[in-house]
Amino acid sequence: MIFRRVRGSAARERISLPVLVLLAALVLIIGYPLLLLAAMALNVGDAQALLPTHWGLANFVRLLGHLEWIRNTLLVALAGSTFGTALALLLAWIIYRTTIPGRRVLELLVTIPYPMGPLVGALAWSELASPHGGLINVLFDALTGSHASLVNIYSVPGIVFVMAIFEAPVAFLMIGAAMGQMDPSLEECSAVMGAGRLMTALRITIPLMLPAILSAWLFLFISMMGAFAIPTILGTNSRFYVATTAIYTLFQGYPPQYPLAAAVGFVLIAFAAIAVWLYTRALRGRSYAVVGGRTYRPRPIDMKGLTPFLFAVVCAYVVVALALPLGILLVASLQRNSNITLSAASWTLHNYRYVLFDFPTTRQAIVNSLLLGIGTGTVGTALATILAWVIYRSRGAGRGVLEQLTMVPQSLPRLIFAAALLWMMLALPLKLYGTLFAVLIAYIIVFLPLAYRSITGVVVQLDRSLEEAGRVHGAGWLSVMRSITVPLLSPGLLAAWVLLFMVSVREVSASIFLAGPGAQVLGPAIFNFWDSGGLPQVSALVIVQTAIILVALIVIRSVHKKGVAI
Amino acid sequence: MSLLDDPGVSSPAPGACGDRKPARDRAFIRVTGLEACYHGKPAVRGVSFEAYEGEQLSLLGPSGCGKTTTLRCIAGLETPTAGEIVIDEQVVFSAEQNIDVPSERRSLSMVFQSYAIWPHMTVFENVAYALRLHKERAGALRTRVTEVLRMVGMEALIDQPATNLSGGQQQRVALARSYAFLPKAILLDEPLSNLDARLRVRMREELKRIQRQFRVTNLYVTHDQEEAMALSDRIIVMREGVIAQVGKPLDIYDAPRSRFVADFIGAANILCGRVTEHRPGEALVVDVNGAKLVCAPRAELPRPNAEGEYLVAVRTVYPELRRNFEGAGVNCWPAFVKERLLLGDIVNYMVEWPGGMLRIHGFPNVLFSEGERLLLHISPERAVLVDADD
Ligand SMILES: Nc1ncnc2c1ncn2[C@@H]1O[C@H](COP(=O)(O)OP(=O)(O)O)[C@@H](O)[C@H]1O
Ligand SMILES: [Mg+2]
Repeated sequence: MIFRRVRGSAARERISLPVLVLLAALVLIIGYPLLLLAAMALNVGDAQALLPTHWGLANFVRLLGHLEWIRNTLLVALAGSTFGTALALLLAWIIYRTTIPGRRVLELLVTIPYPMGPLVGALAWSELASPHGGLINVLFDALTGSHASLVNIYSVPGIVFVMAIFEAPVAFLMIGAAMGQMDPSLEECSAVMGAGRLMTALRITIPLMLPAILSAWLFLFISMMGAFAIPTILGTNSRFYVATTAIYTLFQGYPPQYPLAAAVGFVLIAFAAIAVWLYTRALRGRSYAVVGGRTYRPRPIDMKGLTPFLFAVVCAYVVVALALPLGILLVASLQRNSNITLSAASWTLHNYRYVLFDFPTTRQAIVNSLLLGIGTGTVGTALATILAWVIYRSRGAGRGVLEQLTMVPQSLPRLIFAAALLWMMLALPLKLYGTLFAVLIAYIIVFLPLAYRSITGVVVQLDRSLEEAGRVHGAGWLSVMRSITVPLLSPGLLAAWVLLFMVSVREVSASIFLAGPGAQVLGPAIFNFWDSGGLPQVSALVIVQTAIILVALIVIRSVHKKGVAI
Repeated sequence: MSLLDDPGVSSPAPGACGDRKPARDRAFIRVTGLEACYHGKPAVRGVSFEAYEGEQLSLLGPSGCGKTTTLRCIAGLETPTAGEIVIDEQVVFSAEQNIDVPSERRSLSMVFQSYAIWPHMTVFENVAYALRLHKERAGALRTRVTEVLRMVGMEALIDQPATNLSGGQQQRVALARSYAFLPKAILLDEPLSNLDARLRVRMREELKRIQRQFRVTNLYVTHDQEEAMALSDRIIVMREGVIAQVGKPLDIYDAPRSRFVADFIGAANILCGRVTEHRPGEALVVDVNGAKLVCAPRAELPRPNAEGEYLVAVRTVYPELRRNFEGAGVNCWPAFVKERLLLGDIVNYMVEWPGGMLRIHGFPNVLFSEGERLLLHISPERAVLVDADD
């Protein structure tokens, strides 16, 4: 076993068998679909053929006629990620560094919008602020008697806003973790030597936080470039297309225009790659954080008179990203028809009975999603643990490449990768398409970086010396694993499992193409339901999904006090 | 030669801040009735002391006794719950008058246990940071930084990124950085504790040299008695949030006030017995298991232990052993070498005498062997009555 190898004994580094096997598997499962995507983008022959009959650049030329898709994508992603990161930075600073009351509760509340997901956010905000019939506008009209609408969420600012508030929690967690890893004496030293607060913030804190801020921004940027639910639900009305919604439309068209869709996807991946490259360049030699280093809880700053204002800022975020969306969906799910009334007398639980029991499609989708969540959680955690273990605990060459390869799916918009995976499944002789198994594979790959990140924290933390101490006392490998490693790892493993469960239950982008009639899952089911009307039923289904996720969240909080490391 | 032995010395190293005339009788930092808590749990419970201008003062005590907390209160990094802090005649904290001057306006500087070298800056930038804040002219900046770095032997690394430095180098940069802008006082929190043992001894000597070059008031926190003895004009010994004793290093060593101080600083034998004769200021005799030990006289008797016995501290280095039994006078007893432990530079003897057992430090130049019968002499001024611990 590689675990037994003695430190430093091998003079020349050779690639070990486990590394080789894992590398080959990942190259195949990530590389092959991407290859098919590239081939499809160059396919100028039969549009329905999986492997091109004729090669050429015509699809990219055609794309020149639709440059607004790319432009819109970049616009939305740039604005959304910048706004989202700024918001996250503000929230993290207020919650982790000032003395506002209720920090523990607020810290939890601020992170919930992320597992709830963009689909929930988009649906809720379209019910809240659509130009006609949105609750805010209805109330505004009733109060002022005017017929102009106050807010219009079906707009570019609307899309950016909803994206930012629902993705901000990830950035919040990333920035918050980095804040906890910064030695407070770095700032204290600056203060003692005569620098005021602003000076210390500008010259010490912000430069030290920059790597974390940039990587949060990059994460949001790539995630928003591949966002699907929000631009579809909020943008389709006004014919505002981004790359993902364009690809979806091209897929849905008759006949489907796969080559053009692949070209769009290809361009999007190119932009993601450029962003990653720029980020790596910007951070060269600037990473000061130690992986798994010690964490600090610096003395929070008393902002005196500003405290109520800062508290209000956090509360406003919780209202906008959590309370209002959940509230409107709850109310909408109790309605008899699409017109929302706030009088409780006419409310009904009928919609819940419908989605939970009466309607086979949604019933099946709920069961399937739970199965998928359990499957992704189990297989994903196992795979990520093996990867983390091999990368951090074995010796030999190739481990750096393996880690980079593991993180590749994070830079691929999920909808596009799912499309590529679809072609791969159609190309394989196995009949995978339309089965839950296809969705499971997609989920495991697209969430592998997430699982890996949350596991490495645990594996790194677990000091190697602990294990070696156990072995010196005559314990064999198995007994070291059983008595030391597993008990120390298990809270982290469970946290990773629940995290994967949650993101699988709420996922739309990776399953919209892969979940067929035979394999209904929640995200696409909600989406299709919305597409065909029936607001009260959709809302009920969304509430059911949110309830599942909240239960998982409670489990995660009770085993892992620090919450989830994204 | 330390600054305080000769206050008239006025030829500091080139570039050092030598113009400030130190006045040894002026309380430069005065702490009165300082109390501080964490989450309602007291960490410092009524500490009062003063540091004179240009003095090297140490706060010494076991880990967790509140040294760091005291230092951080002075720096303005923690808010005390009671007391007053005055620096250079300016009240920077007073619970009664509700004054709390923020850190940045106390004109101090600090060397942290972790060094707190800013990793995103070069060595030059680290040192220049505070100088810029204190309005050093851009032209003079480079010269000044180079000068200070030369004093700590780091001028060759001036343009290195801080992340390239080893622990000892970071330590030097941290020192240079805090001395560079001539603060009113420098607070050092266990600056040597993160270095390995050999480097620690070297840096201790170096620190002594730096202290002499820059004659700035030093408040030095440590749990290492050797460091405190070597680097201080005076030592404040702390225990569980209160001050146990204040004094010059040798005074504390020779006349510990309590058993805790006797044990914590140096090595001592603690003997128990009843006082058989006590004429205040003239004579003091303690009966230790029948041996009449004449002790250093004092005005009042210290606190006895729970059994009503008094404690006598005898440093392990002070009792004399000799083979020659002639001329035996006061405090002389026949003794028997029970055990000998050769440690190299020193030799440890366990000696049986009428009062019981004594641990005595000897040196290899005069070796006694196990089983040898000798004459033991304890000079009366080396037998010091101390407070029993509660
Ligand atoms: N940030 C803190 N939070 C809570 N308790 C603390 C903190 N810092 C110190 N303490 C406690 O206060 C007491 C004094 O600590 P400290 O001043 O750091 O001691 P020293 O520096 O002498 O080792 C200790 O009991 C310690 O546990
Ligand atoms: Mg300390």
